[in-house]
Parts: sequence; C-alpha cells; structure tokens
Amino acid sequence: MNPRLDSAPLGVAVRISRIDWDAMSQDEGRRLREFGLMEGIEVTPLHRGSLFSRDPLALSVGRMQVIIRARQAAMIEVAPTAP
Amino acid sequence: MTAAIPTIALVGNPNAGKSSLFNALTGARQKIANYPGVTVERKAGHASFADGRPMSLVDLPGSYSLTPASPDEAVTRDVLLGRQAGERQPDALVVVVDAANLDNHLCFALELIALGRPTVVALNMLDLATRDGLTLDPAILSRELGVPVVPTVAVRKRGLADLLAAVDGAILSHQTQASAPSAPPPSDAALHQRARAIARAATVSETPVRRWTGRVDAIVLHPVAGFLILLALMFVMFQGVYAWSEAPIGWIEGGIAALQGAVDAALPDGFLRGLIIEGILGGVGSVIVFLPQILILFLFILLLEATGYMTRAAFLMDGIMAKVGLSGRGFIPLLSSFACAVPGIMATRAIPDAKDRLTTILIAPLMTCSARLPVYTLIIGAFIPNSNVGGSPVGLQGLVLFGLYLSGIVGALVVALVLRRTVAKGTAAGFMMEMPRYQWPRLRDVAIALWQRAWIFLRRAGTIIFVTTIALWLLLSYPTVPTDSSESQVDYSVAGRIASGLEVVVAPIGFNHDIALALIPAMAAREVAVSALATANAIEAGDDEEAMAQSLSERLQGRWSIATALAFLAWFVFAPQCISTIAITKRETNGWKWPLFMVGYLFALAYAAAGITYWTAVAFGLG
Repeated sequence: MNPRLDSAPLGVAVRISRIDWDAMSQDEGRRLREFGLMEGIEVTPLHRGSLFSRDPLALSVGRMQVIIRARQAAMIEVAPTAP
Repeated sequence: MTAAIPTIALVGNPNAGKSSLFNALTGARQKIANYPGVTVERKAGHASFADGRPMSLVDLPGSYSLTPASPDEAVTRDVLLGRQAGERQPDALVVVVDAANLDNHLCFALELIALGRPTVVALNMLDLATRDGLTLDPAILSRELGVPVVPTVAVRKRGLADLLAAVDGAILSHQTQASAPSAPPPSDAALHQRARAIARAATVSETPVRRWTGRVDAIVLHPVAGFLILLALMFVMFQGVYAWSEAPIGWIEGGIAALQGAVDAALPDGFLRGLIIEGILGGVGSVIVFLPQILILFLFILLLEATGYMTRAAFLMDGIMAKVGLSGRGFIPLLSSFACAVPGIMATRAIPDAKDRLTTILIAPLMTCSARLPVYTLIIGAFIPNSNVGGSPVGLQGLVLFGLYLSGIVGALVVALVLRRTVAKGTAAGFMMEMPRYQWPRLRDVAIALWQRAWIFLRRAGTIIFVTTIALWLLLSYPTVPTDSSESQVDYSVAGRIASGLEVVVAPIGFNHDIALALIPAMAAREVAVSALATANAIEAGDDEEAMAQSLSERLQGRWSIATALAFLAWFVFAPQCISTIAITKRETNGWKWPLFMVGYLFALAYAAAGITYWTAVAFGLG
C-alpha cells in the first residue's frame, strides 16, 4: 500500500498521488479542494497533534497552512516529490 | 440608472482581511443586525465616493466558494445571487484577496468574476506579502482576471481611494455594456489550475516563505510546550480578569453610591426614592460592576483572535475535544462563554458540522460566565474562611472558586460525551481550518469589536435587568405588612408568598426562603440573585439601624448553614438562569426544541448537584 499523509514524516515535502474521494463526505471533499488539496499538489506536513493525541495535522499547501484530521489525511496517498 | 444609493458588497475568503477593509472604509459608521430568518450577522455601513456621493457597504461572511458549507456561506451566496430576502442584489462587488495567498483566494475570485457583476479585486495585505518575500504585479493580475485590481493595505488605509474610484468606474462601464452571458461553471480542478496559473503569472519574484511564522509555530504548536503555553495564557487571562478589574469596579461602585447619596438627599422619603435607590441604582448597579471583567476577558479573546493565535489554540485543543466528539473549532466559542454564553453561542456559527455545533451550543452555558461571579464571590466571601490550605500559599477561597470553574468544565465534557452518543449522534466531527499567519493586532479593529461587546452588555443591563429588578422591588414592597403583624415585609409581600411555594420544591436540597426568593428573578440573569438578596435584605431591614449596619454577607452568615451555601454554589454551576442564553439558543437552533431541552437538562443537573452537595455536607456535620 502506498504511504498516506497521516503517517508521512513531518517537515518533508510530498506529492499527493491519489485522494480517496469516495471515502469522504461531499462537504469534506469540497473543503479539501478549496484548501487546494488535490492530486499532483505538493504539501508538507508540519505539526501533528498535542499531548496524548495524534490529531490534528497541520500542513502547508503552497503559501497557505491548513489543519485537517488524521482521518482525512489517511484518505490521501502521497509519494516522494520528484527530485 | 437608479437614483438609489449603490450597494457594494465586500466578499472574499476567510482571513483575507475583509473586516479590516470594511472597518477602514466605514469607520465606526456600522450597523450590525441579523439577516431575517437566519442567524447570520449582517454587517453594513456607509462610505462615500471622492465626490461625496454616498454608498452603502455590506461585509459578507467569509467563504471559500459559492457552494456553501455553513449557514454563513449560504448567506454570502444568496446575497450575491440576489436571492436573500430583504437584501438588494449588490450593485458592485469588491473581491478581497490576500496578496500572499493568491493560489487559493483566486479560485473564489474567479467564481465571483464569472457572475458578471461589476467587480473590483482588492489585492489586500500587500505589505505582509512583501514581508514574506513576494513581489506581485497588479497590472498582470488585472489583465488575466479581466477586472480592475487595486493594491490595498486595509489596516494602514492604503489604496482605499483608488479602490472606491475603481468601483465607481466598474459600475459606470457595466451600465454601458451588457454583461457577457456566463459560461457553465468549470470544475474545481480546472478552477484551481487556472487560479494557480494566474497567480504564477502575476508573481514577479518569490522567496521561500514563513521562516518567521514557522519558527514561532515550532514552539507554539509543540505537543508539550505549546500546551503549556496555552495553559499559561489562560492562567494570565483569568488572573487579569480579576486583578485588573478591581480598580475600575471600585470606581463604578463609588459612582453608584454617590448617585444613591445624591438621590437620597434630593428626594423626600417615599415610593419614588425607594424605587430609585434600592430598585434601579442598587439592582442595575450590581450588574454594571461586571463591565470591567467582561471587557478584560473580551480584550484577551479579541487579541488572541487578531494575532492568529486562536487557531493555534484550536489546533492544540482539537485532540482533547475530539475525545468527547467535538472539534477544535468549538474551543473558541467555549472560551468566549467564560465571559458570556451569548457571544459564545453566536460564535458557534463557524462550526460547519450541525451536530458538533448543536452540542457546543448545549454545553456553552456550563462554562463559568462572568454573571456567576457575583454569586460566587458573595457566597465564598461569606462562608469560606479566608485562610490557606494547610500552610501552603494556596488560598482556600481561591481553591473553591477554581473548583467551581473546574466543575463546569468537567460537567461540560461529560455532557458532550453523552449528547454525542444520544440526541446529537452523528459522524465524528471534522476539523478543517485554515491557519492564518501571525499578525500584529490592529488597535482600531480591536477597539471597534470591544465597543460592540460593551454596548450589547450595557443594553442588556439597561433592559432585561432593569425591568426585572424594578418588578422584583415592587413585588417585594407590596402589599405593605400591617404594623400589628409579626410577619416580615418580605414574607408578607407577593414575592415572598411565591417564594414560599417554591420553597417546598427546593427545601429537600437545602434551600431556604431567601434562596427561593432570589431564584425567581434570577431566571432573567444569574447576577440578579445577588441584587435580589440585597434588595430583600434592604427592605427587610427597613428602618432597623442595627440590621442596616450589617453587610449582606454578615446577614447571610446568620441565616444560612454552610451546607446550604455550598448547595447554592453547586446549583449555580449548572442552573440555566439566563433569559438571554435561552433566547439566543432559540434563535441559533431555529425553534424551541433545543432551548427547552437545554433548560430541562441543566435544571435537572443543578438540582442533583445541589442535592448531593447538601446531603454530603450535612453528613459531614456542616448542616
């Protein structure tokens, strides 16, 4: 199985290779797209959780930073960025 | 050509600096109301073109697209399409985009331009983009978008005149040419692709971003350190609410006492003097003294929001809130509820998930709002010894107060957990939020927001609390007890007789006649319980010099057992005694179902908590 965004190491840029749109609600999917999270886009996971929780995940998309939950990040497949 | 004043709508993504632009254009000339039928705030104001012609401005709720995800966003779409009842379709749009975030904000801008209305793009926060190492060319952007682009720095009032001139021009040229029929809406992906292409074209040079923000976030969002910083900030905030409010509260109390003295000297003894001194000045005054605390708390909250920290706090709290089925989004409303549940419940509008939002509304009244403070302060001052716990520097009174705050929070978490498994069942709440850059708060924006909060509070004190205090005073003063009766004036009065009825219900949990009497008017607002006790006390003391000399807390000490006092405190942790909260819940949930549910469950909890406290205390010999 391809690596997913929820387990991607922090601080390393990755490219979104596939998003499982069917696994999420329509609203979730739309908000992801509004945040600019789509196939082919480069993102960098920055911060993950606090104290006892692995939720949520902050990542940078372009010049923007967004927060999503690990559950959504698990629906996003990522690949290393092209060298 | 219409002779009517043109309406210009400000529209854009959240965090585009729309509100600052609106404040800069309208100054304090704003009106906040609600769109009819929905609970979304309508912010409108006036400004004028360079030649003095007036225009009206509407600040539409921040949105990501014309497909709404929350009630706020639905209003934005409906106003823009001319579908919102009671609102004219705007004559022109000012699309506000964050210069440093074009990739994303241009998507919505493209959607808006496609509507074919006269449109001008405000390329806002250009100074921050420059600070981030980004150089943009507005001319290229304008050519690509096909509408005028005006660089603005709203917080420094730069570019405002150019912006208004461009709007004027756009309206004029729109009248001379028919708008092009809009093409079918492109897909999300196509829109994004185009937005990115335009952003790239308009970017002259770019250096890697956010070094500074990144370094701060490494500490502030650190799983452990970040959490400790958040706790420290909360501690400073609550400390500030108490410590810094002492002096201004003293001034207000002094002012009210001086007014009472003046009335006392000016009017002859009788009905009117009693009404003004005891009823109006005493009752309303006992509420206005909270203004300093409320303002300090709101100042903190507004500053945390304006700097961009609040979203970081939401990030840190999301993990914990997820465990009870809420999301980090709920943290901001709940924090506001420590000042007052009314703005807190209003702030839940930003929560997109309906069940998540409903749960947050239902538990908001459990946060210890400032209206409970007078009750807590009076009872703790009267019954809890002002000593330290076993030789430590921790004061017993402070500890009890902390315990009351904590009971509210723990109660709220437990209730949320139960609600999310029963009446507010739903899928796990999502948490998707944009994290804004750090910014210096703008004094002006904070001052305007603070003034609006103060005004809401004062209006409340001037209406609901004013009326209930007068009503209570009348009910306590009449009928006048006959001179040969052994009953006291309070027991003999209408209010006293009603209280005797209620006493039967609350006697099992240790409540006496005093409390029964105070609970009824306190339905209007919790703090009225204190003024009710004070008013009843003043009337009962009458002309008895010795009784008059006693302070309220001294008199309570003589009349209540410690068990009763503790039960009274426990009651107020839960009791939904606030008409405003019930009213706002009805408005925000569009009906009576949820406010009634809220009142029911909170009273049940209050009764149980007071009862358990009383029986336990009696068992320990404090009865």
